[in-house]
Amino acid sequence: MGSTGKFQPIEPIPADLLQEPLIWFFAEHYRHRDLCARLLSVMQSVVFDEPALREIYRFLDEDLPLHVIDEEDDLFPLLRRRCEPDDQIGKVLGMLSAEHANDMSEAAAVKQIVATALAEQRGLACYKNAVQVIEPFCFQQKRHIAVENAVVLPIARHRLTVEDLDNLARRLAARRGLSDPFADAS
Amino acid sequence: MIGTLLNNNMNWASARVRADPGFFRRLSAQQAPEYLWIGCSDSRVPANEIVGLDPGELFVHRNIANLAPPRDINFLAVLQYSVEVLRVRHIIVCGHYGCGGVRAALDTERRGLIDHWLQPVSDLAHRHAGHLDKISDFDTRVNVACEHNVRAQVEYLGRNPFVTDAWRRGQKIAVHGWIYSIRDGLLRDLDLTIERPKDVDRLSAKAWFPDG
Repeated sequence: MGSTGKFQPIEPIPADLLQEPLIWFFAEHYRHRDLCARLLSVMQSVVFDEPALREIYRFLDEDLPLHVIDEEDDLFPLLRRRCEPDDQIGKVLGMLSAEHANDMSEAAAVKQIVATALAEQRGLACYKNAVQVIEPFCFQQKRHIAVENAVVLPIARHRLTVEDLDNLARRLAARRGLSDPFADAS
Repeated sequence: MIGTLLNNNMNWASARVRADPGFFRRLSAQQAPEYLWIGCSDSRVPANEIVGLDPGELFVHRNIANLAPPRDINFLAVLQYSVEVLRVRHIIVCGHYGCGGVRAALDTERRGLIDHWLQPVSDLAHRHAGHLDKISDFDTRVNVACEHNVRAQVEYLGRNPFVTDAWRRGQKIAVHGWIYSIRDGLLRDLDLTIERPKDVDRLSAKAWFPDG
């Protein structure tokens, strides 16, 4: 919901931002926070808000899994290769990877409730387990994002080479079926 | 149905000829691939397709967990033929995240013969158990081990007599380590490329984990 009360989708990330992949990750985290804010708001309502629920479902179904791949199969392995012992990144990445696995199972439970609400055309507050499924998911998401923004992305900025970042950006784009962000650069 | 495969083949060959009438004539005359691909047998990692190469452009050896075992006669024959006869310029060891072979090497379940095949991967994991065990999520541990397995095969190849003899003769061969993600269809270069014996020593001296 925007300030005007009219439904607004979760803001898409401008494609130009792919040229700065670490900024892309910050922007993606901002969108995850937006998702959590929306979830925490709609879970308290008995009114069926179809556009809001559809947008939440779409995000959980499409954007969240892609983001987990962005990190698990791309950013984290790159950091494991580039970081120095002083960075002490191994343990942090291990913890975040375990959380990703947990995120996906919690997200599946949230998706299930949202799908039921959509099918039955009811607000989320009509379901007695909505709060107990959605609140821990959002809490975990926000904490996870805080660690990534405060620890992982600053180290990535320091350790990844220009070539690493360019290749990372290309894979972020390819994974989403977007064109090479540097195609016009040469 | 098995007959579908034969029908598919007929359609494929016919489409090829329509697109390029001389394709099979040229292909049957010789094979001169520049690349040897050592990949996993996993059906979801089709070598030619993921690198966009036509038949004739990639010499392929696949086995469970993309190993380059120094005592496997099949692998050694492929390596010698590709280095000495085909004179490939690049050898690519390509692993993939979530590899079932690496997963099997890391767990304690007994499967029979395959456990013997995967022994080098189990040994590698055992050598790095102190670090690997700190990764609590098993899938992530498998993925890290998949990357390490690629590195180990690149190192084996860098010390293989067929490769070192070729380097000594002045033949240009680069060995690369890549990893593929079935989740997005993309390859990652693991920065393991070796082109001379010194590179192998440098690679062997590199830390396996970010924390040492």
